[in-house]
Amino acid sequence: MERELTVVGNRMPMLDAAAKAKGTAQFIDDLVLPGMLHGKILRSPLPHAKILHIDTSKAEKLSGVKGVMTGTDIPDRKYGIVPKAKDEYALAKTKVRYIGDEVAAVCAVDPEIAEEALELIKVDYEELPAVFDPMEAIKEGAPLVHADVQKNISASIRKEFGDVEKAFGESDFIFEDTFYSQAVNHAPLEPHGALAQYDPKGELTIWSSTQIPFFLRRNLSTTLLVPESKLRVIKPKVGGGFGQKVDMFAKDFCACWFAMNIGRPVKFIYDREEVFIGTRQRHPVYLSVKTGLNKEGNILAQQFKAYADGGAYNSTAPVMITLMGFFLMIPYKVPNLLHEGYHVYTNKPVGGAMRGHGIPQARFAVERQLDMIAERMDLDPGEIRIRNSIHAGEPHPAKFVINTCGFVDTVKKAAEGIGWAQKRGKLPFGRGVGMAGGSFPSGVSNMSHISSGAVVQLGREGAVNVLTGAADIGQGAETVIGQIVAEELGVLLEDVRVTAADTGITPLDPGTFGSGVTVRAGNAARLAAISVKNKLFEIVSEKLEASVDDLVAEKRKIYVKGSPDKGMTLSDALKAYQYGDHPMPIVGRGSWMAPTTEPTTLLKENGNFAPNYSFMTQAAEVEVDPQTGRVKLLKMAAAHDCGKMINPLLVEGQLEGSVVGGMGQALYEDVIVEKGQVMNPSFLDYGFPTAMEMPEIEAIEVETIDPLGPFGAKEAGEGTQVSPAPAIVNAIYDAIGIDFMEMPVTPEKILKALEEKKK
Amino acid sequence: MRLPKFEYVEPKSIEEACSILSDESSAKILAGGTDLLANMKHRVEVPSVLANIKRISGLDFIRQDNGAIRIGALTPLKRLYKTTLVTEKVPALSSAAASVGSYHHQTMGTLGGNLCQQNRCKYFNQSQWWRSAREPCFKAGGGICHVVNKKEICYSSYCGDMAPILLVMNAKVVLANKGDSREISLQSLFSGDGKTPLDTKKGEILTEIVIPEEALNSFSTYSKFANRESIDFPIVGAAIWSSVQRKEHRVSFTAVDRKPIRARNIESVLKGRDLSEEIVEEVAGLASKEAALVKSSNYAPSYKRRLMEGLLRSTLKEAMRRS
Amino acid sequence: MKQEIALNINGDTYELLVSPNQTLLEVLRDNLGLMGTKRGCDLGACGACTVLLKGEAYLSCLMLAMDAVDKEIVTIEGLGGRGNLDPLQSAFVEQGALQCGFCTPGMILTAKAMLSEEDHPTEDIIKKRMAGNLCRCTGYKKVIEALQSVSEQTAEEE
Repeated sequence: MERELTVVGNRMPMLDAAAKAKGTAQFIDDLVLPGMLHGKILRSPLPHAKILHIDTSKAEKLSGVKGVMTGTDIPDRKYGIVPKAKDEYALAKTKVRYIGDEVAAVCAVDPEIAEEALELIKVDYEELPAVFDPMEAIKEGAPLVHADVQKNISASIRKEFGDVEKAFGESDFIFEDTFYSQAVNHAPLEPHGALAQYDPKGELTIWSSTQIPFFLRRNLSTTLLVPESKLRVIKPKVGGGFGQKVDMFAKDFCACWFAMNIGRPVKFIYDREEVFIGTRQRHPVYLSVKTGLNKEGNILAQQFKAYADGGAYNSTAPVMITLMGFFLMIPYKVPNLLHEGYHVYTNKPVGGAMRGHGIPQARFAVERQLDMIAERMDLDPGEIRIRNSIHAGEPHPAKFVINTCGFVDTVKKAAEGIGWAQKRGKLPFGRGVGMAGGSFPSGVSNMSHISSGAVVQLGREGAVNVLTGAADIGQGAETVIGQIVAEELGVLLEDVRVTAADTGITPLDPGTFGSGVTVRAGNAARLAAISVKNKLFEIVSEKLEASVDDLVAEKRKIYVKGSPDKGMTLSDALKAYQYGDHPMPIVGRGSWMAPTTEPTTLLKENGNFAPNYSFMTQAAEVEVDPQTGRVKLLKMAAAHDCGKMINPLLVEGQLEGSVVGGMGQALYEDVIVEKGQVMNPSFLDYGFPTAMEMPEIEAIEVETIDPLGPFGAKEAGEGTQVSPAPAIVNAIYDAIGIDFMEMPVTPEKILKALEEKKK
Repeated sequence: MRLPKFEYVEPKSIEEACSILSDESSAKILAGGTDLLANMKHRVEVPSVLANIKRISGLDFIRQDNGAIRIGALTPLKRLYKTTLVTEKVPALSSAAASVGSYHHQTMGTLGGNLCQQNRCKYFNQSQWWRSAREPCFKAGGGICHVVNKKEICYSSYCGDMAPILLVMNAKVVLANKGDSREISLQSLFSGDGKTPLDTKKGEILTEIVIPEEALNSFSTYSKFANRESIDFPIVGAAIWSSVQRKEHRVSFTAVDRKPIRARNIESVLKGRDLSEEIVEEVAGLASKEAALVKSSNYAPSYKRRLMEGLLRSTLKEAMRRS
Repeated sequence: MKQEIALNINGDTYELLVSPNQTLLEVLRDNLGLMGTKRGCDLGACGACTVLLKGEAYLSCLMLAMDAVDKEIVTIEGLGGRGNLDPLQSAFVEQGALQCGFCTPGMILTAKAMLSEEDHPTEDIIKKRMAGNLCRCTGYKKVIEALQSVSEQTAEEE
């Protein structure tokens, strides 16, 4: 670094934290427009049925009802977040495929009348045989969820790196184990919603609780048959997403459709039950892993097979099964890998992106199996991880480019944090420690449309306005981008206003997914800031009679490197700029995408996947009560290499939230389904952890400075949640000597296993 | 999720509230509201009239009277762990109150309301739309129980946290009815019928809970096991009361049957004996025989059986340690 | 039939026509535009709708508006002065005890009630009292730390 950083690297509250604490931050349900109507959606009570007839006449006659729509009213255009996997209508046209599938929508002058109207809609169904288990669904003769998809396999992948068969032949040890990772709901505290307004000129504006404003615009455009130029998507504050708000939903489409057809603004807000049943969940996956090693414990080959229960629609299906396989190639050196992944339709709620997106399921299987292998080969679990780590700069079997890798350090530091040497295998029955590693891409390089733009304006008072399309959903993206711009321009964070996520104002950005925001949108904003700085520096260099390359901007001052006295205030510099007859404001533009070595689809040839990769190890200590089966997570030591931390306060927040989220998946959470019906679609019955369950959390920094990240940053949002769950389940083994192969590890399962062990 | 429409009244006296109940067949009493209003949003309770009794004075008290502790039905649960008389004389009642729901429920919920809460079932505590996927069950006005898939009776479970500890203390409740009142044992308040869990007469309102003096000087405890350590209803809850002098030990459970139960078999085995490791083991195995366990929740009966044993064992051992 | 009531909210009296089946949450948001009180589950299981009634933490989604007559109500809008933050709000901001911010108003009000009722609460008591307020972002760690710091600060001032 040329100089000390003054804004980047600091613990700073989010730009909008005070507004949130005051209750003035506006979320979708806080927005009200004059004459606004309220919409509600009627959902199928059957898992699989033909729609024979829908009688909406009684609902239409109810006083206060302004509109009723069904699948027959809407254009014959399917949607889906992945262009080649579109399979969904906003409202079902001919058949329903799960309990919760959208059948009709109403809007009325108040929500109570809208609810009443739903009860007046009469739907005649012809029930069809349904299938609820993916392993049943792929059998010959199973009911087809989508008539044109044979064996219900809607997406599949077979990808081999190296020569797996040969490598297994050369292995001294081969182990094969099977695992199951359950359905988990994201359960953001804010339910999903949308508000749409149509103006007589034909322009449609929608406010939506979305993570992906620009993708939403595209999906709305293709389904509503409205050109993107007439569509504006605005993201208000979003109350958490975790991937659940990555898709378009019926509420988005129906709000727009009603607004266009009625001419009044229409708002839809989902009930909590609808969030649980009718949005998305983490895919339940059956996984089998076969691993070959030499005598020293080096992995020679891995064969991985996964059947994902996708529920009734695709959502991100092809992406999910791909990510699951490709990221088996980090953080361990797997010279030969064969990944087979299948996405299977069932008549159940729909799987989608959730923090980690397929990778936590794979990591659960692999990290659990690594511990089982270590036990069988009499190796320390930490040692086997270190021995197999990839390293920066080394050739990578999948041709990933790893510029920085702190994985080995994370293993050591997490172990130290939990007291590994003193505790592993040495604690009394019922107490144990365990660890798990992980790695995650900071966004992706090799996919189309994945680039971000930014505009930075510097006005004559020194105020900065950043326009970015990045979607802050509570993680603090706007703050991080603000810090990057403030650092580059040499102003204070308080001088920066970030205007974000409005497709009518802000530049293109893919949105919040794939953990790419800091690197991608951060780099775009940094380039825009540099462009502004360069314009200003040209003038300042004349005044100071110094070369542009020697100038430094810091704390509202510009000076010559090494001579802080030789300089001027930003305010004087801006005056000089303006009085030198240069037009104001100074505007800089930047756009960024990850450098790609080849414009490839990775399925065909190998290549780099992401601009950079984060690495982490989490080590857990648990206590198991043999009377009740309760597992208490006592402590999690979480070591994370996320490159340069732009804002350590926010990085810690991501880490701590992930630990409790991962603990939820390991011990508490499960979307329970009985004949296609979700049995626990409420906060009370779903039961994710409260403050009472919170463990001690030690966040350990392993900082690397990555050449491609802004100021050296890498991702810190999703990778944090891939390893807590397996670390906990590994610790349970250390505590009671039982290998759990599926999650969640509930007290019920513990008691049962302990009883069987006694026999 | 809107509440259904109803007529709202604020009776000025218990007599008036009783009259409303007996005149309006589907009138309901509103106290803390945390159970009733959630059920109303789900449309599993749809009263035509809600009589808010919180503005009637004299139903919110804790006092000792001739040795017995008398608690007004409208006493907030929080008060039970904030009042010295209770924390000192019946600490187990305080800790039971602190185990109910969350802090908010303890603030809003009342002792009377907690005792009179509706039974629970995974097929019942769901929205109207959710339930429309199945034939209406007994409890929601239909003719089948989905738990056992039989057209027999309603198998919903009683899941209150306050009943077990009061049962082992042989508590009584006062039921008022238009200027009249009667005192019955708490045990006889519960009908054992999942559909109508309370065995009260038309127009009766629970006004007072009485803990007899004899219960106060012996060890008692309530132990709750739930998914999380807050908010949740018990998967199983167990209370014991143990008198070393009298060699009498009482046991009760919640969330294991259609009503909160006293484990009479276990109690008779324990009668006249001092607690010991052997005896604890002997009776722990009997625990699940006391209850009619069914799959009315997402937790398996076999698991509840293990928990009943575990909780009984740990509470009895605690009693041993204390004596 | 709608009925006329008066509610005392954040020191102001509002005269309103409400239906008996309107919850306090609905009246605060829909009738009065006090949007700081959030609807997270509408069934009393998340705490996002917490308001203070006579200083105590209530779930406004499980409370009839009619039932709140004559009770001093404080919502998040009633905390802190004009443009200022209450010490609890400052602690949440400075210490990163919020991320998406949706649960935050409810969290802060529950904390307010707890700190007024408990002298020098232990970490265990803080967790117990806060457990009815769900958060999916922070993992609660910074929330509990923020509350501990405010509680210690208050103790010092005494």
